[in-house]
Amino acid sequence: MEFYNKPGDYDAINYIPHTESHGTKELWKTFWLLLGITVLDFVIYFVMPASGWRNFIFIFFGLVKAYYIVGAFMHLKHEKINLALVILVPMVFVLGLISGLLYEGSALEVMKSL
Amino acid sequence: MANHTSTQASFENQPTWAGGRSPFNVSYGKLMMWIFLLSDAFTFSTLLVQYGTQRFSNVVTPITTKWPDPASIFNHFPFMHGLHLPLLFVSVMTFILILSSVTMVLAVEAGHRKSKAEVARYMVYTIIGGIAFLSCQAWEWYTFIHEGARLDGNTFGITKQGYDHLTSVGFGDHFEWADGDRTFGPVPFAALFFIVTGFHGFHVFSGVVINVVVYIMTVRGVFERRGHYEMIEKAGLYWHFVDLVWVFVFTFFYLI
Repeated sequence: MEFYNKPGDYDAINYIPHTESHGTKELWKTFWLLLGITVLDFVIYFVMPASGWRNFIFIFFGLVKAYYIVGAFMHLKHEKINLALVILVPMVFVLGLISGLLYEGSALEVMKSL
Repeated sequence: MANHTSTQASFENQPTWAGGRSPFNVSYGKLMMWIFLLSDAFTFSTLLVQYGTQRFSNVVTPITTKWPDPASIFNHFPFMHGLHLPLLFVSVMTFILILSSVTMVLAVEAGHRKSKAEVARYMVYTIIGGIAFLSCQAWEWYTFIHEGARLDGNTFGITKQGYDHLTSVGFGDHFEWADGDRTFGPVPFAALFFIVTGFHGFHVFSGVVINVVVYIMTVRGVFERRGHYEMIEKAGLYWHFVDLVWVFVFTFFYLI
C-alpha cells in the first residue's frame, strides 16, 4: 500500500467527482408528480370528511412527496447506497420518536380529563 | 502508482479505507451539506414533536375550546376579502415552492452541461420563486395576526354557534365571524404556528440569500474559471430541503 506525502497527491478537500447531465425528463416527471399529489391533497380535503383515515392519506402522500424530492431533486437515488443510508437511517428513528410521542400526547389528553 | 498523471485518477483508485479516497464518492462540500441538512432535519423534527404532542393532547373536535380547525382560520385569499376559501392560498404557496424547486434542479442540470447563461437564467427564476413565497408568507402572517393570533393566547376556539355558522357556508361564500362564534382555545396554537412557519420562512430567506450569492458568482464567471458548477448543486440541496420541510408543514399545519 502506498501513502501520499507529496503535496497535490492527496486532495480530499478539492475532490469533485465527475458529473454528467442526465437530461431533464426525470425532473419534469417529478414536478408533475408532486403537483398532481398536491392537487389530490386539495381535492381529498374537500371531498372526504375529516377522519383518521384522511390524516393517514395526507401523511402517506407527504412521505411520497418527500421520497421524490429527496430521491430525484436531491439526487440521493443516484448517490452511493452508503451515503443514502447514513442520511435515512437516523430519520427512521426520528419518525419512530415522533409517532411515539404523538401516542403519549393523546395519553396526556386522557390524564388532563381525569 | 508512483508516477500518476492525474491526481483525481489516483484518488479514485485508492482502496476505500486507505485514506485519500472519498468512500461516498461525493465532494467534501457536498457531504458536509448533507450532514448539515441531516442536523437541520433533526431540528425541524424536534419542532414537529413539540407540535404533535401539543396537538394530540388537545384533540380537534368541530365544536371546541380545543385545537382549532385550520379550515376555519386559514381561509383567506388576497384581493378576495371576506370569502371563505380554505386551503386555497396555501396550495398556491406550495405550487410556488415546487416550481422554484424545479427551476433550481434545472439550474443544476445546466451546470452539468457547463452552460453559464442557462444556469444564470434558472437561478433568477428560483430567486423570484423564493421571494414570491416569502411575500405570500408575510401576507399570511399579517392576516393571521389581524384575525387575533397572539403568542400568549388563543381566541380561535369555536363555539356551537360558530360551528353551525361555519358549516353553513360553502367554498367561496362570504364569511365573517359573528359575536359569540369564537372562544378561547389551547394557548400554544398560534405560538407553534409562528415558530414552525417562521423557522421555515427563515430557511427560505437564507436560501434566497444563498441563491443570490451563487447567482452573482455564476454571472461573474467564478464557476466557469473553476471548471465546474458544483456550488449550484450544494445551494440546490439546501433549497430542496426547504421545499421538503414545507411538504410537512403543509401536511401537519394545514391539511390535518
